[in-house]
Amino acid sequence: MGIIYLMLTVSLVIALFFLISFFWATKNGQFDDDYTPSVRILFEDELNQKSNNQTDGSSEV
Amino acid sequence: MNVLSCYHCGDEVIGKGYYIEEKAFCCNGCKTVYQLLKDNNLGAFYSLEANAGVKPNVSSIHKFAFLEVESIRDKFIDFEDDQTARTTLFLPQIHCSSCIYLLENLTKIETNILSCQVNFTKREATIIFKKEGFTLSQLAVLLDKIGYAPNFGNRSETEKKFDKTYLYKLGVAGFAFGSIMLWSFPEYLGLGTDNPEFRNFTSYLSFAISIPVVLYSANDYFISAYKALRFKSLNLDVPITIGIIALYLQSSYSIFAGNGPGYMDSFAGFIFFLLIGKWFQNKTYKTLSFERDYTSYFPVAVTRITEKNEEITEIENLKINDKILVRNEEVIPCDSILISDSAKIDYSFVTGESIPINKYKGDFIYAGGKLIGQRIELKVEKESSRSHLTQLWNDVKTDKKNPTSFLYQDKLSAYFLTIILLIALGSGIAWSFIDPTRITQIIVSILIVACPCALALSAPFTFGNVMRLLGRKGLYLKNTRVIERINTITDIVFDKTGTLTKGSSHHVEYIGDELNHDQLEALYSLSNSSTHPLSRSIVQFLRAQNISSNEEITDFDEVSGKGISGTINSLNIKIGSPSFCEQNSIDKNETSSFILINNSTKGRFVFTSELREGISELMTSLNHYDLHVLSGDKDKDKSILESIFPENSKLFFEQTPKNKLEYIENLKKNGKHVLMIGDGLNDAGALGISDVGIAVSEDVFRFTPSSDAIIEANKLASLAYLLSISNFSKTVLKVCLLFSISYNIVGLSFAISGNLTPLVAAILMPISSITVVLLSTLFVRLKK
Repeated sequence: MGIIYLMLTVSLVIALFFLISFFWATKNGQFDDDYTPSVRILFEDELNQKSNNQTDGSSEV
Repeated sequence: MNVLSCYHCGDEVIGKGYYIEEKAFCCNGCKTVYQLLKDNNLGAFYSLEANAGVKPNVSSIHKFAFLEVESIRDKFIDFEDDQTARTTLFLPQIHCSSCIYLLENLTKIETNILSCQVNFTKREATIIFKKEGFTLSQLAVLLDKIGYAPNFGNRSETEKKFDKTYLYKLGVAGFAFGSIMLWSFPEYLGLGTDNPEFRNFTSYLSFAISIPVVLYSANDYFISAYKALRFKSLNLDVPITIGIIALYLQSSYSIFAGNGPGYMDSFAGFIFFLLIGKWFQNKTYKTLSFERDYTSYFPVAVTRITEKNEEITEIENLKINDKILVRNEEVIPCDSILISDSAKIDYSFVTGESIPINKYKGDFIYAGGKLIGQRIELKVEKESSRSHLTQLWNDVKTDKKNPTSFLYQDKLSAYFLTIILLIALGSGIAWSFIDPTRITQIIVSILIVACPCALALSAPFTFGNVMRLLGRKGLYLKNTRVIERINTITDIVFDKTGTLTKGSSHHVEYIGDELNHDQLEALYSLSNSSTHPLSRSIVQFLRAQNISSNEEITDFDEVSGKGISGTINSLNIKIGSPSFCEQNSIDKNETSSFILINNSTKGRFVFTSELREGISELMTSLNHYDLHVLSGDKDKDKSILESIFPENSKLFFEQTPKNKLEYIENLKKNGKHVLMIGDGLNDAGALGISDVGIAVSEDVFRFTPSSDAIIEANKLASLAYLLSISNFSKTVLKVCLLFSISYNIVGLSFAISGNLTPLVAAILMPISSITVVLLSTLFVRLKK
């Protein structure tokens, strides 16, 4: 029976861990903007590939 | 004719345009931005979204000079150390993914910028820049140059914190809900009594975890219910609070009496679901938040002329009789009198009217207009915070929306509460005959199960979804209450200029001597060299007559706000205002451009505004409302309006803003519910006191202080459809209501018969909430 108390405690600790992570994420602004990052991830990082980049960016897809 | 659109901003290229390689641009500004992006390897801007650019304004160095003043600059710097500074700027022009791309790559354009991060939802950019050799005002000028003029208004800080509180509360409730439910499993399986020691342990643990839920997560409901009761009214939060308290006390009693965890899981679940509803509502507001402090549109600082020198000062410091200097493209900060000889003021972002208004020495000038042309001196007549327009708005705000207009839910909750109390009373009496010891338990479980959680969720989700749908279709509402008010509308009042008629495109008529082909071609060439709205209209007018030309112009001159002149094939031509062409204006109310060819007057172009497309169809589809028109103009368009409006409509002309306001007040006194459609500031008073005030705007990010909604100008024709969507929400609500009431009846039957076990509560409660949320979402999705 003792094991169930241990498991209860562990479950509570895990839940608390997630709660605190959630607080931390909220405080750090993870939920402030749910649109921009989804767009940002699709941008090419041109700085690193400047050499093989054509001068007119409009023709690249 | 094939219409060429600007590679940068997508506007129609009128006339020759500007070219780089094969790409056409409508103005030099757009071309410059393209060049800048191309030079900095940011060409991908154009591949993300076609014609994504924003047409840049003619920027002047003076425009952001106030940022050089230390005290003003510091207000906009979030953080700074020895080398760098961080600022968060509101850039209202952000509108697509290309904007994000461009702004986040600012570092490539200006090496002094270290990083730039865009928050699309808030239209803000957080920029870190090197302090050495770069200033905030230079940053502002750069942003302005590429089309993203920062808006230095007073930002409200409260908004941000508010948002996060909901998330914290939601987190706490979710944590408690999950944990308690896990521990309650033995109860659900009927194993609760097998091990009393373990049961006690989990019960006390549940109780401990529920404390933050009741004290922190749920406190909004308690506060709201308390406020309602204190003002002797009822809102939906009252029955909810009663349910919550009954649930909590019953469960706590059960725990301390050693009878297991009671309904603690349902309690935490209740709060969790309720908060999801609130969070959803809040999120809807955030994405559609267009309401900004009116001060955000007035400039932060102005140049004041003192006896010794010119100084930049904050607007709040301006005193009556101060002399101020306003430059080209600057906003008139306060009501004042013109000291300089003449001025042209563009009230377009106030009224939607794109033709600048002439003012002469000694004229009174209202705040809010933008100066076009030479710099002027003004004498301050009213301090800015007491400005004519803001005053009108502030007056309105105090008695905004009669307090008797209850939310539908609040009305319902009164009935709801009475019925529940009657049922509780009846069951109590009945049980006193059956088993008097169980009376308290029965009454408490009735109060618990009747808690209108599903009902509370139905409104935010239905209205929230409808609001989003409307937003996608071009009607942006300030909040969900507007939907309820739209649904009661009996009368629609239209403004004319900028609402029924287009703000920028004009109908042109030529009055005067017959012009020969050469002269027309010369006129075309000359007008084509100017980007002024009237010149553009003239070009379109001539083009419609198959005139086009690309003749060389010599001695070209454009006097900003007055007219243009030049010589083409030995024809010396002047087009412009009466004073520019040395004429007496014929009719002060007429907008016209005179034509002088070789110093002899030929005639004039008269501009009249055109009705928007689809207006006459709109009027037919709105015929179940009483329609009114209040126009500030003379009645020259009366016959056109009479032909499109239903017979019993009332048309009034030459109405001042004050007349409009009184007219609507009168309608309201007669028990009508008025929807007013007009332009932002000019009709601010009238919009404010109407039950629903909708501002028509070419640009939805425009300033509209007292309106309840903004409609995109080109979507006005679909107004009837938009109103029908809004009305549809009533049906959806009724269906949701039906469902939540049937769940309540099922729950009540359990409660009255004394069978409301924690398991039944734990199943009923989430199911009813989820059904309502799904129903309201699904219905609105299907309606399209």
